Amino acid sequence: MTDVGNSPRFSTRGLALSVALALLVGLAIGFGVSRLAAPSTPADDSAAAGFARDMSTHHAQAVAMGMIAAKKGLAPEVRTLGEDIALTQQGQIGIMSQWLRDWSLNLNSSAKPMAWMPDGDKSALNGNLMPGMATPQEMTALENASGKTVDTLFLEMMIKHHLGGVHMVDAVLTATDDPDVLWLAKGMKTRQTLEISEMQKLQTTLAKR
Amino acid sequence: MSISTPGGENRPGLVKVGGKPAAGAKPGTKTTTGGTGGKTPPKSGGPRKPITPIKVNQGRNWGPIAMFVAVGVIAVGIIGWGAWAAFKPGGAGYDWETRAGGISGINHVTTELKSNHTYNPEKYEQSPPVGGTHSYVWQQCMGNVYDAPIPNEHAVHSLEHGAVWITYRSDLPADQVAALAAKVEGKEMMLMSPVVNLDKPISLQAWSYQLKVDNASDSRIDDFIGALRVNATQEPGAVCSGGNTATGDKPLTEEQVAALQQQQQG
Repeated sequence: MTDVGNSPRFSTRGLALSVALALLVGLAIGFGVSRLAAPSTPADDSAAAGFARDMSTHHAQAVAMGMIAAKKGLAPEVRTLGEDIALTQQGQIGIMSQWLRDWSLNLNSSAKPMAWMPDGDKSALNGNLMPGMATPQEMTALENASGKTVDTLFLEMMIKHHLGGVHMVDAVLTATDDPDVLWLAKGMKTRQTLEISEMQKLQTTLAKR
Repeated sequence: MSISTPGGENRPGLVKVGGKPAAGAKPGTKTTTGGTGGKTPPKSGGPRKPITPIKVNQGRNWGPIAMFVAVGVIAVGIIGWGAWAAFKPGGAGYDWETRAGGISGINHVTTELKSNHTYNPEKYEQSPPVGGTHSYVWQQCMGNVYDAPIPNEHAVHSLEHGAVWITYRSDLPADQVAALAAKVEGKEMMLMSPVVNLDKPISLQAWSYQLKVDNASDSRIDDFIGALRVNATQEPGAVCSGGNTATGDKPLTEEQVAALQQQQQG
């Protein structure tokens, strides 16, 4: 080493400082990256956000149907099922609304219903009505029905409604990796699939009653 | 920049220039060793002035640089953290009030709007009303498009739940009525009805908010719905299903409500 004066003291102090500096920079980068990466939430045009909005609308109609069945279904099974569906789906609307709040997204969007769906199944849309949703006329018919007609109409309409709902759930399951969305969507699929077969059995049972 | 300590001849990092002769060699004296004194003796006689050592930086002084860089990194880190905390998404919700406030021509009623329930007909400050004492029963607002006027007392209850109520003057052209209906049908937390003596062709209501426009193609209609539907609720989590679906100009009486509930119970 030609540089006699720079040898022992530099290597001790300089090395220590370099290490400390490297640590600090490393920490800062790591800290920053983790903070930026960890809470990244779904965007306004994401499938998760679209699902939260559209499924809330879809659910709201199921709540309406379920309440009618709970109040004036003839068969006790229909009343119980209506109450179960209405309360469950209203609770799920609350969960989905809170996602949007947590993500700082608006509950309202100018996007068309189901615009988020990756398979582009817009043909199933009837105006603003998503797959399985009843028309205003069908809803009025259910509201004005009485006796056994309530049970018949409710089971028909809710089976169709659930089938449409499961179709939308399938779409979001392939389009998001948000753990909360996956959790609720899987829960919906399991439950509604079960209820579809339950309602189909009930149709057979009630036809004989 | 240099932090120096008195160190004399042996101080590392300092080199003396000027060919100081080796110790003991007298200037002007020829030596047989041929050492540093050189072969050319100084011309002037007498003792030579001592030459001030000149400092030459050998590399940098890493200590202070590292210190300043470290302070800088920490400062940037703190600023970054603060900025992140201030702007991070999540938790704060969507700022619908700012969005609503930015709609040109919107009227935000900031005086107190009562939320009491009654069976009596009410007089309202605004026309159509945007809040105040209202019927026990809400008007169904599951995207209902009513083709005749509905009682204010029921509609105000829907506003309380978070609905946007689109009203239009009875002479609004059919194509514009259809354009408005397309924004409502199938959409919960929306309802629409004609109002006979409306001062403008179209008036939009949410709880404590109102916007009057002349044409169904006015882009502020979508802005109003986008900012206020559900967001303006006085009862987060409330529903629009059930309720009254009858049209008319008087709210349901206690007896009529009892009859309605009887019918809804099957």
